[in-house]
Amino acid sequence: MSPLTFETINTTVLNTLSRPGKLYWCVIALLFGGVVLGASCWAYQILVGVGVAGMNTPVHWGTYLINFVFWVGIAHSGTLISAILFLFNAGWRNPIARAAETMTVFAVCIAGLFPFIHLGRVWLVFYMLPLPNQRTLWPNFQSPLIFDVIAISTYLTVSSLFWYTGLIPDLAIIRDRSQGIRKKIFKALALGWSGKTGQWMNYTRGYLLFAGIATPLVISVHSVVSWDFALSVIPGWHTTIFAPYFVAGAIHSGLAMVLTLSIPLRKILKYEPLITMDVLENIAKTIVFTGIIVGFSYATEVFISWYSRNIIEMETFRWRAFGDYAPEYWIMVVCNTIIPLLFLSKKFRTHVVPLFIISICVNIGMWFERFVIIAGSVAHDFLPNAWGLYRPTFIEGGIMVGAFCLFFFLFLLFVKHLPSVSMTEMKEMIHKTE
Amino acid sequence: MSTDAVIVTGLFKNREETLAAVQTIQEQGWQVKEVHSPIPDHELARALGRKKSKVGWFTLTGGIIGFFSGFLLAVFTATRWNLIVGGKPILSWIPFFVIAFEFTILFAIFGNVLGILTQVGLPDKDYEKNYEPECSGSLYGIEVASAPKDVAGLKDLLRRTGSLKDHKETI
Repeated sequence: MSPLTFETINTTVLNTLSRPGKLYWCVIALLFGGVVLGASCWAYQILVGVGVAGMNTPVHWGTYLINFVFWVGIAHSGTLISAILFLFNAGWRNPIARAAETMTVFAVCIAGLFPFIHLGRVWLVFYMLPLPNQRTLWPNFQSPLIFDVIAISTYLTVSSLFWYTGLIPDLAIIRDRSQGIRKKIFKALALGWSGKTGQWMNYTRGYLLFAGIATPLVISVHSVVSWDFALSVIPGWHTTIFAPYFVAGAIHSGLAMVLTLSIPLRKILKYEPLITMDVLENIAKTIVFTGIIVGFSYATEVFISWYSRNIIEMETFRWRAFGDYAPEYWIMVVCNTIIPLLFLSKKFRTHVVPLFIISICVNIGMWFERFVIIAGSVAHDFLPNAWGLYRPTFIEGGIMVGAFCLFFFLFLLFVKHLPSVSMTEMKEMIHKTE
Repeated sequence: MSTDAVIVTGLFKNREETLAAVQTIQEQGWQVKEVHSPIPDHELARALGRKKSKVGWFTLTGGIIGFFSGFLLAVFTATRWNLIVGGKPILSWIPFFVIAFEFTILFAIFGNVLGILTQVGLPDKDYEKNYEPECSGSLYGIEVASAPKDVAGLKDLLRRTGSLKDHKETI
């Protein structure tokens, strides 16, 4: 393989922006169909009422909030890769940073939809804004739900601005190699970037500060999401381990999603010279690390429930492992903690097929983790006569499918219209290694 | 610089040649106005005598404004209706700190973006002046100011220092 140069990086990335073929538009149409299905289900729910979802006493937090937590989690590794690994100067993050940041922006947008869907009467969403209602009542800023509104809005704003700021030099590269209407669009988007020394100096300082500020933000956001649960008194939720446990789980699921997206991306867009097997191997090693933290958290929860001698907590965790949701619990344990350990073998972490399959398993496992925590805890709390079970309905399933389709639909549009690998960061990487 | 001065831009193929050329051009008494590069380079910035970035001050100011805005918003709204919820005091400092923290981050980022835009000079409508599009790809462009009568000498110097090509534009 020829060594990378500034020109080969430009050519490889710009080639991905060429006119897509019929297959691309077929996949886009298929995904759009899924989005329409989800939108129709939501419209039906708005028309008929939230009763069309499977949520009922005692489980009032169902698939919508499971998906909310899942997508917020997916978003987190984008910031981990783009901000935290940037601060640690980990060169292997450069080829995947842009895709991960984009994943973050789309995942937060989709996560943000679910509280709206969960509300039922979506037109009352303004109650969450810091505005007084007709009785001059303001939102209660002591509530973790309002913390969450503030945290997620901040995260969406920050990750979008971080993503766009990182894109500016690359947009200028496309602008300088385009003609006609495309040139006009990229000229507007690049804001007149011309790579002057003074521009670079201020830009790199601003980018470093972005990374420095995004790092505590990413940790705070999933901690705040975990407090939606931990600040209640529900057994299985009311625990101090939730913040680090959720943050580790978020990074675990997000890294798995980065693998799920990167493997087809490098094959279809011919990114093999940029997204090398070493990059994928490093993600796999990080997944082993986060998987062990997640496994340790599962074990700690069970141990503490036994050690506390609190019969409610003991029953909650006994029921999780052996009760009605036992299959979901064991899918969670196996997919999140045992299967990722296969990456300890070099054979598994250096071949795309096992990498892809294991990443899908972790995605499934992390979705079920949210199911077990959210639905499983309220289904079986203090009073045996109030116990009940929850199963999602077709409407909830349709909305969930629509959300996944929307995510992949947006991502596919992105990879053919904007540079999915940061040309500037790749050039900086090879410049440092020269 | 008089209004009939010109800018001659020379294009160089890599950073090392560019740095050496900047040094030679400056030693010969010419004024290097600007260098365009495909990646950031602190040595080039130092060679051109660029001052330290002030973006951090914007970020810090934004963060401080955000912290107090978040705290005051929570305190103000809590005191509009003195109703104890969940047994917590009306002014609950720990929960309010969470709001203040998120506002700190949000406003610090707004400050940071404002700092980048103002200090980088974006949006720049006149970016095409003296700019060679190859500079966003792999080449480095050095802009040197010259009196019209000295252009030939400057072009000769640029070629000797390794310039692949050059062009001039009146400023």
